[in-house]
Amino acid sequence: MKFRGFREATVLIALAAILAISEGIYFRDKISWQSPIPASELVTVDQARAWGDGAIWVDARPDEEFAQDHVPGALSLNEDRWNELLPQFLPNWSPEKRVVVYCSAESCNAARDVAKRLRDEAQIKDVFVLQGGWEEWLKKK
Amino acid sequence: MKTSILTLTLSSFFCVAARAELKWEQNTIELHPGIGDKQAVAHFKYENVGKTPVHFKSVKASCGCTTTQTQKELVNPGEKGEIVATFNIGDRIGQQMKTVTVQTDDPVPAQATTVLTLKADIPQALELKPNFVYWQSGEEPKPKKISIKAAKEFPAKNITVKSNNPNFEAKVKARAAGEWTIEVTPKDTSRVMIAPLTIETDYPKGAPKSFNATAQITNPPGAAPALRPSPAAPPAPATTSTPAAISSPAAGGQR
Amino acid sequence: MASPQSSAEGDEDAKRVGDGCMRFFWRILDLIVGGIFVYAGVLKVLDPAQFANDIDNYKTLPWLVTVRLAFYLPWLEIFCGLALVFRCLYRGGLSILTTLVLVFIGATIAARVRGLDITCGCFGHVSQNWSFPQHMAIDVAILAGLTALWLPSRVQRAAS
Repeated sequence: MKFRGFREATVLIALAAILAISEGIYFRDKISWQSPIPASELVTVDQARAWGDGAIWVDARPDEEFAQDHVPGALSLNEDRWNELLPQFLPNWSPEKRVVVYCSAESCNAARDVAKRLRDEAQIKDVFVLQGGWEEWLKKK
Repeated sequence: MKTSILTLTLSSFFCVAARAELKWEQNTIELHPGIGDKQAVAHFKYENVGKTPVHFKSVKASCGCTTTQTQKELVNPGEKGEIVATFNIGDRIGQQMKTVTVQTDDPVPAQATTVLTLKADIPQALELKPNFVYWQSGEEPKPKKISIKAAKEFPAKNITVKSNNPNFEAKVKARAAGEWTIEVTPKDTSRVMIAPLTIETDYPKGAPKSFNATAQITNPPGAAPALRPSPAAPPAPATTSTPAAISSPAAGGQR
Repeated sequence: MASPQSSAEGDEDAKRVGDGCMRFFWRILDLIVGGIFVYAGVLKVLDPAQFANDIDNYKTLPWLVTVRLAFYLPWLEIFCGLALVFRCLYRGGLSILTTLVLVFIGATIAARVRGLDITCGCFGHVSQNWSFPQHMAIDVAILAGLTALWLPSRVQRAAS
């Protein structure tokens, strides 16, 4: 009887695996498998720098941190003053530009949140989050 | 067998709970700020149920938007207190989750760190989808639509839209109660220009709120990066709507 | 005066009624416990990305593991729940569900000790507003139901 239970459990585990794999295939392009931020939305400092004038840098950190130091030419766009800062950002954007959003470090969520709002609300495509954030920029400076 | 499993589970739970020195009433607090609220405040209450005093070594919030206040540095056995976490909402919308990490001098490492979580569901008075419409320079000046939906807590009946740039025409069409569509049409897309659109509502009666959207003719590919406002339109004014004015649609509001 | 034969028949009738009631009770418990897991699984299957994010918010597992679990666990719950409902592969389903609930209760307690309040659990995003005591109460109740279903005579009958 013990083996019967084991056999039955194995069948259920296998059935679940088949359906899970099928669902994974269906969602393969809609979910990021390696990190919470899809790979297609992450960019390294070197990659972003290579875009040159084709990139607009967006600093998602609070005003005080932006004022202390920021990526040269970056625009401040944070959720504290989103309604005020967004109209100041938009005139600098055009469709062929790539937006690179950063916050203090990899672990901070602000860049991800700002990037999401730019994509969802302003429906701007080509918005990327800087891998490693401001910390990584400073290391590579 | 069934009794022993249940006993083992329950006794592990109670044993673990009894060892903790600082007992928290709630580790997670869910808040529901109203439209227009600037802050959401959570009171994390604790009690020292141990036999030795507990010293707070550090209390750190996960973001600068959340400030914390500890009433005391040292909590003696039997004493109660609270840590007040104030989340400054700013212009955030949707589901927000902020944490406060509390470090004490508890000799047990696993108990020395406690993560308190503040969850807030921030309502959006008026959802604009999208809040930015644009045409590339030289593109055919076809109308583009902005869908507007009012929250249940924001019972606006009518909205009007104003553009301070005569090149952009904006018309409001009512779809259903609390839902509208704004159709924006540029007259001429040959010049690069930007037009803030002010959406005025009739709620609340005494001081109706207004919201912002943007219409823009962008650079053609390969042109100079920065857009300077055209002489026909004054520079886009700083948002003068009330602090709670939100000009952006929430797309589900991720944490 | 009642004959010994009629009193024995009466006893048998009473026993049959009692057995019938007990079978009905156990069947209802099968349906409730199985139904809960099917419901919980379906909620999470519909939006695996959200479930993965809910788990990830507590930073207890690496994303690589989290996202794969988010796809797999709900289907396991559904099939094991259906096993109880339809009494097919019954013992296997009961074993897996009991193990899942025990592991989950253990993980919740361990996280609580670390100061993390796991409020995302059995019911995914729907249960995110539940407090820790509410979560534990529901989980212990489900465990009690599963444990009751392990009564030897029940399992044999259901599995046959």
